[in-house]
Amino acid sequence: MLSAIARSIRHKLALVVLATTLAALLVTGVSLVIYDLRAYREAGLDDLAAQADIVGRASAPALAFDDPKAAGEYLGLLGAKPAIAAAAIYSAKGKLFASYTRKNLDLQLPSLPEPDVARVDGASLVIFRRVVENNEILGTVYMKADYQVIGRLADYLGIFGAVTLFSLLVGLGVFAWLQRALTAPLLNIAGVTRQVVERKDFSVRAQRTTQDEIGDLADAFNAMLAEIGRRSEALEQSNRFLEREMAERQRADAELRRLNEELERRVAERTSQLEAANKELEGFSYSVSHDLRAPLRAVVGFSKMLIEDHAGQIDAEAQRKVGVIQSEAQRMGMLIDDLLAFSRLGRKEMSSADIDMTGLARSTFEGLRAQHEGAAPEFRLDTLPRARGDRVLIGQVWANLLSNALKFSAKRDTPLIEVNAVTDEKDHIFFVRDNGAGFDPRYQSKLFGVFQRLHHSSDFPGTGVGLALVQRIVVRHGGRVWADGKPGEGATFYFSLPRGAPHGNA
Amino acid sequence: MKARANIFIRNLVRLSAWTALARAGLLAMALGSAAPASAADSDGLTLEQRVKAAFLYQFAGYVEWPPMTFAQPGAPVTIGVVGAAPLAAELAHVAAGRSVGGRPVTVRRIRPGESLAGVHILFIGRDESARVGQIARNALPQSILTVTETDGALDLGSMINFIVVDRRVRFEVALDSAERGGLKLSSRLLSVARQVRTGTP
Repeated sequence: MLSAIARSIRHKLALVVLATTLAALLVTGVSLVIYDLRAYREAGLDDLAAQADIVGRASAPALAFDDPKAAGEYLGLLGAKPAIAAAAIYSAKGKLFASYTRKNLDLQLPSLPEPDVARVDGASLVIFRRVVENNEILGTVYMKADYQVIGRLADYLGIFGAVTLFSLLVGLGVFAWLQRALTAPLLNIAGVTRQVVERKDFSVRAQRTTQDEIGDLADAFNAMLAEIGRRSEALEQSNRFLEREMAERQRADAELRRLNEELERRVAERTSQLEAANKELEGFSYSVSHDLRAPLRAVVGFSKMLIEDHAGQIDAEAQRKVGVIQSEAQRMGMLIDDLLAFSRLGRKEMSSADIDMTGLARSTFEGLRAQHEGAAPEFRLDTLPRARGDRVLIGQVWANLLSNALKFSAKRDTPLIEVNAVTDEKDHIFFVRDNGAGFDPRYQSKLFGVFQRLHHSSDFPGTGVGLALVQRIVVRHGGRVWADGKPGEGATFYFSLPRGAPHGNA
Repeated sequence: MKARANIFIRNLVRLSAWTALARAGLLAMALGSAAPASAADSDGLTLEQRVKAAFLYQFAGYVEWPPMTFAQPGAPVTIGVVGAAPLAAELAHVAAGRSVGGRPVTVRRIRPGESLAGVHILFIGRDESARVGQIARNALPQSILTVTETDGALDLGSMINFIVVDRRVRFEVALDSAERGGLKLSSRLLSVARQVRTGTP
């Protein structure tokens, strides 16, 4: 019951109406009862006093002339008034003179009269009234009447209860009729609220049916709904936009990934094709070089035999031409050997060892100088850092670079070859510097190509494979080569090797 | 008797509300209600006579005289007594200082042949029974309430006659005689009368 009242404003209103009605009825009822009981008492006492006066006046002669019988007859007349329980007349002396008692009532009459008094005595009204004639007290009238205050109170409570019940019923009826005007708009708003919460529908509106505060509430509620609707729509819009953008991005990402994969796939494809082609090419050049040596040896051998065996049969001019054939054939043999070395390098397994670069460079230089013709160059060798790599291959690098330096500086009056190294975070960079012919930096890119020559072979003999071999060895060790120089001012060739790192694969 | 009187005195003392004025009346009733009619008091007065004296005085309150009887509003009511000397003395004692209906009460002894002028109530004692008829006839035109204590006195023209019934002093009333005398007797008086004679039988 209480929870139902707490939940519904209708019940609260009903409670208010009923409580108000009840309170008003209670106050009215209690006031009326108090007033009436008071009036009842006063009226009862007044009535009894009047009765006593009448009896006293009527019985005065009986008292005066000492006639109890007549007095008794008077009192007997009180039987017509059933409310009077008992009456008595006392003589002036205080003796019981005459008495009356209602039928079937056993009542002890006071043995002595009291002075004039009227009072409530339990459920009775009691009065003593003196009988006075000609300024003389003739006696006293005593009367006792029923005072049904409890009964009257009970009657009142009954009537009050009935009236209250009826009033509450009428009040409920009136409330039921009136509450529609009050709660209907509220319930309308509550219903709209529920609708909004359940369906998330911000387009519904509460109906304004009254011009009071509830109407204002409905308006405010509607304004709030509109605002929320607007905001949620804007939010949804922005969400949709974000979703679209996100999808687009994901699509672009996927596309990018696809393209990358495609690219990688194609790169791998090409790489493998290139590797295959390279292998094929290497195999081809090896076999070609190898196979070319046999006929070349025949050419060299037979031209030699031609000069030795048939010197007398051919003239000097013919001998010179055969000599050219022989020397060109020997050069071709050197070319083929270099090509074979170069192609073999691609297939050879590399070993890794700790190399004393200073010692290696020195011993290589000493070996080359012994074969060298012409002025001995000045050789400056600083202490070089140790490095890891294939001793034979690195020795080849030194040999090629140093022989180049010897070759190109040979025409100087005071040739100078300088070998040194610098070390940075990752690499040891070794370099060989000479004061020889130098080169045109425009052709730097061609320096390390196979069979690429910047100088005519008649000026500086060579096959054009040496620097290509150097590059290949250094790259296989995970380093790189480069050079700088100017024509007539010497050249510097650099190669780097990783510090302590294991060699790569080329 | 003395004992009863003492009790009465004690009661008087106890009921302090009672005034001295009430004394004589109370005495009369107290005696009248219980005492034998013929018993005599120490001063020769019988209880019966005391009661009668009290009654005589009381009658004044229930009688209405013709308008011209009293000269002025406060003029006294005069009770004349023929014979019955002790009663007259008692009556004078009882009535002293009292008033009925705003009038003082005076008592006058009437000797044979004396004028009844100015008398309002006339009591004729038993000792003058023989003259009741004559006195009543004299009194009648003068609107005097005649009271007697002689059997059959009403027939002789008396208006109120004391009788003793069951040892109590009672009285009978001849309303016709009173009317002839121009007197109106209160119905309240008649209500306690033993017998009321309204006309010639």
